[in-house]
Amino acid sequence: MNFRGFPPGLPGHQQPVTGHKIKTVPLMTVPFVAAVLLVSLPGLTWFRGAVATAQVQTEKTATAVPDAPREVLQKYCVDCHQPDAAEGGIILDVDSINWPEKDNLELWEKVLHNSSQSRMPPPGSDQPTAGERKLLGDWIDGQLSRHLRIGGTAPRRLNQAEYLKTVRELVSMRDYELPPGFPGDSEVHGFDNMGEGLVMSPAHIASYSRVATEIADLLYPQPRKAVSSRIQRGGVEDLVLSFSASAIKEGKLRLASSARDIMRSCTWPQQHQAKVSGVYRVTVDGSVFKPRDGDLPMILEVRARQVSASERSVIDNFRFLKDLPFTSKKSQTHAFETELYKGETLSFRWKNAEFDHNNLKATVRLMTNWFERDKRWLAAWQQAVFPGGLKGKARISTLRGLNGWNVINKALQDPDLDMSEATMDSPETKELLRIFGTVGGGTHNLGDALCHYYFNQGPSLQLHGYTIEGPTRLVDSDVDKRYQQIARSIAGTGKGKLGNEKYARTMLAKFLPRAFRRPVDNSTLEAYLKIASEHWEKGHTFHEGMHLLMRNILISPQFLYRSLQPGELDDHDLAVRLSYFFTQGPPDAQLAALANAGKLTDSKQLRTQAKRLMPNRREHPLVRSFTGQWLDTRGLKSIMPDPKFKFEAREINIAQAEVELFFLDMIRENRPLRDFIDPDFTWTAPYFAKRIYQIKGLRGRHDKLQRVKIPRGSRHGGLLGMSAIMMTTANGVDTQPVLRGAWVLENILGISPPEPPDDVPALTPDTRGTSTPREMLAAHTGEDSCLNCHRRIDPLGFALENFDPVGKWREKWPGTNRQIDASATLTDGTKIKDVVDLKKWLVSNESIFAFNLASKLMVYATGRPLNYVEKKEIRQLVASNLSEKGGMRDLILDLVVTQTFRTK
Amino acid sequence: MNTKNLPQYLGYSSVDRRYFIRTASASLSLPALTAFGDSHAQKGFGESDQNGPRNFVAIGTYLGWHQNAFYPRETGLEFEIPATLKPVAEFRQHFTVFSGLDHRAGNGHNNWSNFLCGSQPGTYSFDQLIADQIGKQSRFASLQLTTGSGENRTGLGAMNFSRENIYLPMLRRPSVLYRQMFITREDRKRTEYLLKSGRSSLDHVVGEAKRLSASLPAADREKLAEYFHSVRSLEGRMGRQLRTLDNPAADPGYKLPENDPITPNLQMEASVIMYDLIAIALECGLTRVATLFLDGLGQVFTINGRPLSSGYHGLSHHGNDPAMIRDLVLLDTAHLECFAHFLRVLREKKGTRGKTLLDDTIVLLGTGMGDASRHSNRDLPTLVAGGGLAHKGHVALTGKQETLLGDLYITLAQRLGVEIDSFSNARGNMNEVLS
Repeated sequence: MNFRGFPPGLPGHQQPVTGHKIKTVPLMTVPFVAAVLLVSLPGLTWFRGAVATAQVQTEKTATAVPDAPREVLQKYCVDCHQPDAAEGGIILDVDSINWPEKDNLELWEKVLHNSSQSRMPPPGSDQPTAGERKLLGDWIDGQLSRHLRIGGTAPRRLNQAEYLKTVRELVSMRDYELPPGFPGDSEVHGFDNMGEGLVMSPAHIASYSRVATEIADLLYPQPRKAVSSRIQRGGVEDLVLSFSASAIKEGKLRLASSARDIMRSCTWPQQHQAKVSGVYRVTVDGSVFKPRDGDLPMILEVRARQVSASERSVIDNFRFLKDLPFTSKKSQTHAFETELYKGETLSFRWKNAEFDHNNLKATVRLMTNWFERDKRWLAAWQQAVFPGGLKGKARISTLRGLNGWNVINKALQDPDLDMSEATMDSPETKELLRIFGTVGGGTHNLGDALCHYYFNQGPSLQLHGYTIEGPTRLVDSDVDKRYQQIARSIAGTGKGKLGNEKYARTMLAKFLPRAFRRPVDNSTLEAYLKIASEHWEKGHTFHEGMHLLMRNILISPQFLYRSLQPGELDDHDLAVRLSYFFTQGPPDAQLAALANAGKLTDSKQLRTQAKRLMPNRREHPLVRSFTGQWLDTRGLKSIMPDPKFKFEAREINIAQAEVELFFLDMIRENRPLRDFIDPDFTWTAPYFAKRIYQIKGLRGRHDKLQRVKIPRGSRHGGLLGMSAIMMTTANGVDTQPVLRGAWVLENILGISPPEPPDDVPALTPDTRGTSTPREMLAAHTGEDSCLNCHRRIDPLGFALENFDPVGKWREKWPGTNRQIDASATLTDGTKIKDVVDLKKWLVSNESIFAFNLASKLMVYATGRPLNYVEKKEIRQLVASNLSEKGGMRDLILDLVVTQTFRTK
Repeated sequence: MNTKNLPQYLGYSSVDRRYFIRTASASLSLPALTAFGDSHAQKGFGESDQNGPRNFVAIGTYLGWHQNAFYPRETGLEFEIPATLKPVAEFRQHFTVFSGLDHRAGNGHNNWSNFLCGSQPGTYSFDQLIADQIGKQSRFASLQLTTGSGENRTGLGAMNFSRENIYLPMLRRPSVLYRQMFITREDRKRTEYLLKSGRSSLDHVVGEAKRLSASLPAADREKLAEYFHSVRSLEGRMGRQLRTLDNPAADPGYKLPENDPITPNLQMEASVIMYDLIAIALECGLTRVATLFLDGLGQVFTINGRPLSSGYHGLSHHGNDPAMIRDLVLLDTAHLECFAHFLRVLREKKGTRGKTLLDDTIVLLGTGMGDASRHSNRDLPTLVAGGGLAHKGHVALTGKQETLLGDLYITLAQRLGVEIDSFSNARGNMNEVLS
């Protein structure tokens, strides 16, 4: 989008005019509802340019303005809109118009709009009769409809999200991540997938090329270099100590728990990792410490772990290597050969330890038996956990680990230990066992303290040291094997005894149509084949040829761009548009098959497919990406509210989830569109509802989102009552009614206000409480130049002033003791006193919001702003949706079969 | 080592030590690097001003500089150092502060990129204009770096725009930058193979795009032209990389921290490293143009052991609250402490013709936002340092006069040997002021 440049030779405008940056989100244009709240954009420098261009071209292809409309214009408009006095920079004193000129089409659409809304001529001037308005309107409508065609999306490269998803699907690498510094996309018309905004830059090509190389490296790796075998010896000090999983005593590393949480049971070398995948020789020295009857043999389980694996891994995440039995109190050595993959090291666990943090039932059983056997043991635990008896506060989290063991041990040694409650039927004992049986009590705190008993008193399995020697030979890791499998599956064949060319040809026939998302002709295939075969002719290896081929395919324009063919979309491009609209990814097998069979252009089939792709979870791209951009909730994480609001990552996630879950239900239940404004349900979490929305008494886990019934006409609920929306329209510090108002105007009503002119001083909010925002704004709406826009913007913002910067209801302006006055007068004269009234007004004028939502969805789907005739099509669709009591799901299904959707 | 001037917000002990290791290792290898830099320096730059500065560095804060603490009260050479500039007091002979200059661009965050773009944000930026003239022979035509951001800036929030008005991504990981600057021997052979084979096959995709293009309407063909241009540019870059592979820069052994300090709260630490790497890149002749974008989001800084009363963005909306302003100025000053470190490093290092790197480099410190509290882009605080210019202390221009920030840029460009007589909406210059 570039409206910065101005036509050359325009008098007085050699210097581009700054200030009003024109956004080109489509304006709602035709009388569509009786009461409409609209802006006429003052000072449109852009139109100044447009008219001048029209005049320059008049000589060439202009058609004369017929007498009848010309008379209306002459009678009512040209006094203010003539070259000598071009009010708002608009000139309507013209004899002829070059209609195909884009700027003229936009100008006259605006004229039509303002006339039919009776916004022009301004109050106080002579007004045309209804007949005169109709005459003018019909003439413009006719011209616009004649000169505008449906369609016109610029070639779109895949945006970042689409590109990532497309790469992942194409080469079956679901966890592939883009490299850091990968360029993002610009937002135009409010979305990051617009043809205009998706510029291809050198930085993009460089990054695509880099990704292509990375993918090719994985699929067609270089031969591994020989690595000389080396030997690493480790002692106990080279092993990791994690929580209470192990401890060093008397020069040995002792283990105590068989938990599946590796951070509570395992140890592993700190400094070792296999440099390459290969066979290694491992020796482990260990012994048993104070075994009791039946404890032998103690089994040391050895697994292979990725060094980079999360500490939160469970044991099953690691590859099993070997069980080593230990029976001797003296050092015992086990040696074995095993495969270690690149980046892996060993992990050790005492597999048959009696204590297991994660087995809560077994822990309770273990402690019950122990307490029965040893009442002093029981009394010591009671003393440690209930120092003030059952009435006092139980001490659990501070008893974690060694600290806890010291407290317990001190009690054990105490000659005056209170034994009065040390019976199996005492309430303290029961409570103690209950705590052992809970996640946290048994799994974390008391369990970690218990481990130290084993470290000191036994039984324990102890490690003395280990050696890892190798590699003695190289092997393929699981990961290598996975990529080999992918390479085989995208080619549809293994290499086997196929010649290089035959293999590549087979691969291309299968892979190119998937990469280019449409059938590929033979000459294209041969051209690609040539890249590899020429490389092989120069003596490069098979893998190098395939590597080069893959690098080329992944920077091909046919891979990077979508829907290049002009006009009505064919089956394949339709599959692409449908698929990226719903999933931000390439067509799946079913869509591709339908397209190949030529069945997708059938509207019934198209609707069926749309139904299949309809969102079913909140992470679905049509939910997450569309709401994130339409409602600007995507930027929530960067707002970082002032600490005083106690609104952190968890709260932001809940706020965002509320919007997504709400939007999802609107689709799934095919709710009428007005429920976006005033629904009878919302999604929230109990503690959040209490804190932000003053909704009390919700059951269930405090931070788990649930669907909640609310009465219609509530303050909360609906887009204008959600925390996320109120947050994104504030700055995290204070609310700015103007910004909120402008946001509602643009995203709820679908009208883009212009940026404030640069010669107007910006408002400095004075947070010292000497005046309210309303008083400060009163000053700036006192000026005529501001008033025109602000009387449309500010009322919408003030109506939302009861919501603080995170969406919590408030009665007083911050820093003052003054009641918030949220009342306002809308431009159609409706007086409202707060957000509840505003919602009522929006519901009674539901077509405004409905048309806006439908337009936004269509802009998002097609990647272009909508022109007059496209808006006309959507307007009809919205009208029938409303009159036939349709819902959100119907709206989406109707949109995908429109000409607007089906045309490039 | 004088600890008085070191950044304090990270605690003395750790910073001192790390800071020392860095500068020590960087300066140890100085002789070899200088020799290398010279060999590059002699190649093919026939600027008009043989004695002029060779390099250009621009630094911009997203949330502006608090004007009252940035502008000295007095004008001219005799001025009392204002609060924010205290860290650079020792360089007062080497910089000029400009007040009252701007590009007459629109207001608001969206127009921030007016800093280097002039009156039309999001268009060909000054750094790229310079780089296109003097950077082409270097390994990196220009370096775009950032600190303090959780994510990449895009569109109008970005700082650097190519001739085609396309924003350029910024690097925020020092380790990535370093690997690009000093490629290892084992990587070199592989890189060379990839570059050569990749370059030879680019013709194929270009041919494909041309065939596709032939059947498209004019507007779409224009759009695909972006693809041709980008591929051609990649080709050129590959060629440049191939040439420099034969003549690699010696790794100075700069000690990077184990993890990149990309958490927004570690912005100051990250900035110090980025400044060091810029200095090394200039010294080694790897580039002649570098920019550093100091982003600002909600990060809460701890300065002198005290967490500030609000996040960066929150403080920038101070609403004239004195306590908020005090904290904002502390934050601005912390940025200047890092900047002072940069100037010090530049002064220690050798440039060409026996000059210090400081005298050989024009450093522009500024912003695209005049007063973040009001979202006003009038009166952008600007400081020009180094470059061997005749610095004038504080040059104050009232908002009313005709001089634009672009006039200053025109003068800076000319000093760098780039002969332009207009930039964005500016047609004049400030040659007389800086001579």
